[in-house]
Amino acid sequence: MFLTVIGALNEGFLQTLKLFAVTLIGAIPLGLVIAFGSMSRFSPLRYLTRLVVWIIRGTPLMLQLIIIFYIPGRVLSSGSPWPSGEPGRFLASSIAFIINYACYFSEIYRGGIQGVPVGQQEAGEVLGMTKRQIFFKITLLQMIKRIVPPMSNEIITLVKDTSIARIISLQEVIWAGYAFLKGSHGYSGLVWPLFFTGVYYLLFNGVLTLFFNYVERRLDYFR
Amino acid sequence: MSILEVNHIEKHFGATKVLSDISFSLEKGQALSIIGSSGSGKTTLLRCLNFLETPDSGTISVNDHVIFDAADPATQQEKEIRAKRLHFGLVFQNFNLFPQYTALQNVTLARELLAKERGGESKADIEAAGRELLAQMGLADRASHYPHQLSGGQQQRVAIARALALHPDILCFDEPTSALDPELTGEVLRVIRNLAEQKTTMIIVTHEMAFARDVADQVIFMDGGLIVEQGDPREVIDHPKEERTRQFLSRYAEN
Repeated sequence: MFLTVIGALNEGFLQTLKLFAVTLIGAIPLGLVIAFGSMSRFSPLRYLTRLVVWIIRGTPLMLQLIIIFYIPGRVLSSGSPWPSGEPGRFLASSIAFIINYACYFSEIYRGGIQGVPVGQQEAGEVLGMTKRQIFFKITLLQMIKRIVPPMSNEIITLVKDTSIARIISLQEVIWAGYAFLKGSHGYSGLVWPLFFTGVYYLLFNGVLTLFFNYVERRLDYFR
Repeated sequence: MSILEVNHIEKHFGATKVLSDISFSLEKGQALSIIGSSGSGKTTLLRCLNFLETPDSGTISVNDHVIFDAADPATQQEKEIRAKRLHFGLVFQNFNLFPQYTALQNVTLARELLAKERGGESKADIEAAGRELLAQMGLADRASHYPHQLSGGQQQRVAIARALALHPDILCFDEPTSALDPELTGEVLRVIRNLAEQKTTMIIVTHEMAFARDVADQVIFMDGGLIVEQGDPREVIDHPKEERTRQFLSRYAEN
């Protein structure tokens, strides 16, 4: 029985990890684009971006997930745009998570960029560097150093937030654990698999914590 | 022939006029000191020369070539401004060294980026030149230190080396010792004095009156965005003609 449960939980946790990884891969760069939008000198773009960020951060991720998954099918005459089954649920979850997390990341980036003293940029300009060179050679690393602690917080939250995708029946680890309570693989009424999913989260977040401590130490050589 | 010619520069911040009708010229190999109280427009003037601010009117010429004309947008194109900036070097009050780079990397970074774009110097040549500049600043043994491991005076000397690395025609100093502890100003002033002796063309905004008098070939006293008095430093500082200059200098003497 133990091996059956672990096998099912592993499979669920793989889905959790996939959603986690895809969200990071999408949201980390998209967040930067949104951050630049929210700092744009072109005020309509700036206001629009900040409005979007306000809406996304101001409403529950669960609600956004439900809207993205169910609403297109009700509005479009061609029916739901999502592929059927688990791939469709995963795609919808990925999009909702990427948009949601990109908005949070963008605010962290904005703080990080604005926290780099103006003098740094001016020193680069006076030395004849292009805006691009200034961003990549000067500002970026100083910004990364500033954002590592808030980003690690947000990323650890993301690990746990992936369980929200269960609301559209994405078969992540909590869904897999809960299945043994409802009845699955010939077992039903088993409570411990659900509790046991916590161990997966704890271990994975432990690894992430070690990783972020390492990154912070690596960036400790300058101030 | 003047290396720098500034004509009728004006600058407003909103409704406030911070520079009005600024004109002066500078000969190659000369040092110009700009003195005046805080808010008199000295720093803004330097920032205009370095294209960190855009004057509302007036022209700036280097080597008889108009590099900025407020009335001619063609002289203000982003791409060209980059090249024009290289006529000037700027040493900031707060050093503004790049914290993630060593002293040597601070000095070589911009030159390496330029070399990569235009071809030419090898990385090894640039590094050798950077080490030599640091040695000239008395910092040969600090090349691999990061800014936070250096004292304020050392940081400012790295910043001077960084500005010199690009061989600017005119090196500008914006109150180079104002952010330093009093006991550290001497080492920075000594370096600037050496540069003056080597006939580096310089503009120095400073509150160090004795230094301005000794080092500069020309002094400008500014007040309220205007040039009130300019000329030989011994004249302007020791025998000011204008009442405002006298008041400013006597306030200084009291302190």
